[in-house]
Amino acid sequence: MKALINFNPANCSMTRKNTQKGNFFYGIIMAGLLAVITWSCSTDNTADNPNEFATTPYIIPEAPNFPRNLNIPADNPMTVEGVELGRYLFYDGRLSGNTASHLLMSCGTCHIQQNGFEAGINNPKFPGGRTHGLPTVDYPEGRPTPNFMLPIVNTVYNNQGYLWNGYVNESNAELGNGAKSKDFNYRNIESLVWMSITSPFEMNSTVEKSVAAIDAIPMYKPMFKAAFGTEEVTYDRISKAIAQFVRSLVSQNSKFHKYLRQDAELTVQEKLGHDLFFSEEADCFHCHGGSILMTTNQFFNNAKDRFFDREEHDRHSVSGDPMDIGAYRAPSLINIARTAPYMHDGRFKNLDEVIEFYSTGLVYSDYVHPLMKNVRQNGVQLDDEEKAALKAFLHTLTDEAFLKDSRYDCPPELKQWTGR
Amino acid sequence: MNRVPLFLCGMIFLAACKNQEESTNYGKLAIHFEHYQNGQPLHFDSMMYVNAAGNPYEVSEVQWFISDIILIGKDGSMVSIDDGKFAHYVDTNIPQTLRWDVDKEIFAGEYTTVKMTFGIKGEKNKPNMYTDIPESNMMWPMHMGGDQGGYHYMKLNGFWKNAANERQPFNFHLGVGQQINSNNEITGFIQNWFEIELPASAFTLEENKLTNIGIRMNVEKWWESPNVYDHNVYGGSIMKNQEAMGKAVENGRKVFSFSGILADSKI
Repeated sequence: MKALINFNPANCSMTRKNTQKGNFFYGIIMAGLLAVITWSCSTDNTADNPNEFATTPYIIPEAPNFPRNLNIPADNPMTVEGVELGRYLFYDGRLSGNTASHLLMSCGTCHIQQNGFEAGINNPKFPGGRTHGLPTVDYPEGRPTPNFMLPIVNTVYNNQGYLWNGYVNESNAELGNGAKSKDFNYRNIESLVWMSITSPFEMNSTVEKSVAAIDAIPMYKPMFKAAFGTEEVTYDRISKAIAQFVRSLVSQNSKFHKYLRQDAELTVQEKLGHDLFFSEEADCFHCHGGSILMTTNQFFNNAKDRFFDREEHDRHSVSGDPMDIGAYRAPSLINIARTAPYMHDGRFKNLDEVIEFYSTGLVYSDYVHPLMKNVRQNGVQLDDEEKAALKAFLHTLTDEAFLKDSRYDCPPELKQWTGR
Repeated sequence: MNRVPLFLCGMIFLAACKNQEESTNYGKLAIHFEHYQNGQPLHFDSMMYVNAAGNPYEVSEVQWFISDIILIGKDGSMVSIDDGKFAHYVDTNIPQTLRWDVDKEIFAGEYTTVKMTFGIKGEKNKPNMYTDIPESNMMWPMHMGGDQGGYHYMKLNGFWKNAANERQPFNFHLGVGQQINSNNEITGFIQNWFEIELPASAFTLEENKLTNIGIRMNVEKWWESPNVYDHNVYGGSIMKNQEAMGKAVENGRKVFSFSGILADSKI
């Protein structure tokens, strides 16, 4: 069962690869580099060029015990200007390449802030939380997405890949369909932008059409210039800006987070639920609670099914490991009370159904992960008091400040274009 | 821009490198972590083993911490390999973790013994000291003793054939144990980490070279001696079962061995 983990040795130690014998040559190289830097600095100094654009670094707020290994690519540092441009693009339905109201689709069409950036089970456009793409001749109601949604929260702390099966990850060497450049890969949040634009389950457009649509909107010219130095609209810039905005969606202020900081008290029932969550008896934490993110970001077959017929979507489709058949990401439980329905196929409509499943509904298969240690008893067998306590604790994971943060909301001038 | 200070920095850097070049009685060390079963490399996810209690079993993954590795010299001197981190996380799912390239240079010469700690000593096993995956996923819950030892020493996950001949998961997890009274209340905690000197672990760290050594976990020995450990007795999870963890810890002193100097040891 080989989880794909992006291991960063820098977590554990400083790295100094040079040996004593190599130091002399290393020193020569470094001296040469310094000379080059000296020369290049004299010709590329912003102080000598008043027309050079300047950006303001966007700082992910530090909070106790949150990860320090941030997923911010070297070629896409976060800036205030980039994040703001990304917010506009995230909510602009013209990114789909369309202007007719019934054909608008933005990221924000499905990713609703108050629902933890999922569609939500009571979404009037997507009943039951089941999202679909823009209408086509073959699918006049739009083609249903293969999986239900994952929340968008704290992705900047995730270096373990994206999507339910982790297909989008830094080790993925594949290039996208019709790829014309390295921009069309499957490696990080930036990749999800072109994937959404071209997916028949989502915008069903082309990158060229979408870029042209954004390029035709005068409002964006100064925003691109502020973020990237010129007014030029390119796919690379669009994807980088949206990825910056997505990375800015950080949740650190649920009641649970405050409890860990000793800024809030849990009720007796919530504390019982907390202790159950982090116990051998209910044992949620081995998959969901290894860190303050309320996810291990690993992949598990959690004993939902006896047979599996969706191999093209599960973890096995990425890892090739037979033991990953039927395995999907353990999602973050932050804001879990707002992100129904649950599981990759949305089979559970509310938290009560989820808790009942883990209590009495597990089914054995040869692919079940060993952490589902109670599978032979069909679950952890909680009583009613324990179920209620666990549910109460899960509600402490709701971060109202995050869900209402105006920095993450749709800009007022885009309300008509968001495609909801 | 004035280029003179940067040029001087470069020259100073060169001079410093030359001084290190002249220091010759050090070498580098890489430690490789191996997982074996009955003298052979462990095969995962295959019900092909039988433990001392007669339980057929398979192993899915092994995740564990080793810490405070000390090399004991011929004269009894002790060299800590602490290079800014005192503990190393080993995960059979993550190949990079199966090797620890010790960052600091170590006195070259003959060493008689390699000493190690399984898990992390209580005073160093601070909650929240790891904020990033994968180490953070080893968290040991606070109300189960996490403030006495914030991280599992080991998660060894797999399956055994139970008394009903069903394939059943086991989570052989070791960490801080609890003293529990008759009312099922926790009254105290027990540190289960242990130190061992690896038998027959003499080796020579070569001067100005990279020396590769191996530390081997012999998985079957967790359940072998002096206590025959029966999964049918202790069940699938033992984090709140100090009796089971205590027996495992006693067995653990025979689990690790030194696999000597490994190949590809030249720089």
